[in-house]
Amino acid sequence: MNTIDPRIHQALDGELSPDALPPELQRAIRQVAAAADLLAAPVRGVSVELRVMAEIHRPAPTWARRVARWIVTPHALTFRFRPAWSLAFAAAVAVLTVFAARGGEPQLAEHEGIAQFVGRFPDARSVHVVGSFNDWRAGSIALEDQDHDGVWRATVVLPAGTYEYMFVVDGERWVPDHLADRLVADEFGRENSVVIVRPARR
Amino acid sequence: MDVRAAPSDAEVVARVLGGDAEAFGILIRRYEAGLLRFATRMLGSRDAAADAVAEGFVRAYRHLASCREPQRLRTWLYRIVTNRCKSHLARRSVADVPLDEAPPVADPSDTEATLERGEQLALVQRALTELSADKREAFVLKHVEGLSYEEMAAVTGERIPTLKMRVHRAREALLKALEEDA
Repeated sequence: MNTIDPRIHQALDGELSPDALPPELQRAIRQVAAAADLLAAPVRGVSVELRVMAEIHRPAPTWARRVARWIVTPHALTFRFRPAWSLAFAAAVAVLTVFAARGGEPQLAEHEGIAQFVGRFPDARSVHVVGSFNDWRAGSIALEDQDHDGVWRATVVLPAGTYEYMFVVDGERWVPDHLADRLVADEFGRENSVVIVRPARR
Repeated sequence: MDVRAAPSDAEVVARVLGGDAEAFGILIRRYEAGLLRFATRMLGSRDAAADAVAEGFVRAYRHLASCREPQRLRTWLYRIVTNRCKSHLARRSVADVPLDEAPPVADPSDTEATLERGEQLALVQRALTELSADKREAFVLKHVEGLSYEEMAAVTGERIPTLKMRVHRAREALLKALEEDA
């Protein structure tokens, strides 16, 4: 392993004055500083502003197209299983199965299933669920607390698949559903919850 | 004379979230240069860097509501673009990284000093490309973008001692490569 005098690191980290070092160490410090100075030169002739603004003004793809694209796109997921909640998940799946089998419920297409979102937020004024099924757009799926017991619920028909989601409380606080079977880390440093929607009819 | 202070990041974010999509252009103009430079140093290619930064801005726009600390938007944007760069690197081997910072073709308007600087930059960029992606990222964030170790930890999700170690190793490898090329 190549090592250099630790005083060089101390000086470059601002913990030591370079003036206090022997000339050969000062030379190494100047080399690093000169390299950084060269790399700090602006990258000329490139701008992404027009491209980005055009993209964000482009009409959003249809809901079906977004779902189709999400399903066919490969996703790298890091799963963290919580065995203690697997029983709760199994119960939730059982409830979903019974719910789907009952007459008089929403008519489902062959590849659709029902997702039930439940969260306890005693002081919340509003709770929404956002996720990969609605392109993370807040405000489109509201949970309800009809008996004012602080437990908010929503039942949603979705194409069968695996979705990431979070709750948005009072329109501003994003929180994962810790009762979900899985939590996955996303690239923004958050934890998303995961729900698996199974087709009601096979 | 009408002198007004530029709106803060948090103010611009609030405008965008309030429906003024055009205001997002303010954030692009504010951070584009630094992010393009960072991505170019990471990927060794201006085209790939432009792709990574453009993707990063679009993602930032779409997830802007989830930015919990708009006053620290810069750090958040670097985090997103860092992840886009890692995705680009994962799709190709380091050996495929193009070096489009190679010594420029002589232009009559270029001075000798400009050409020499271009050659030196190509030398340093080549040495940088030989570092592992983690060390390259740490060196560029620290010495080129001027982030503190605390900011680097927020960008990368790594612990400060880990980042310090990477910066140290990057300096050592860079000095060795520069000595060999000298």
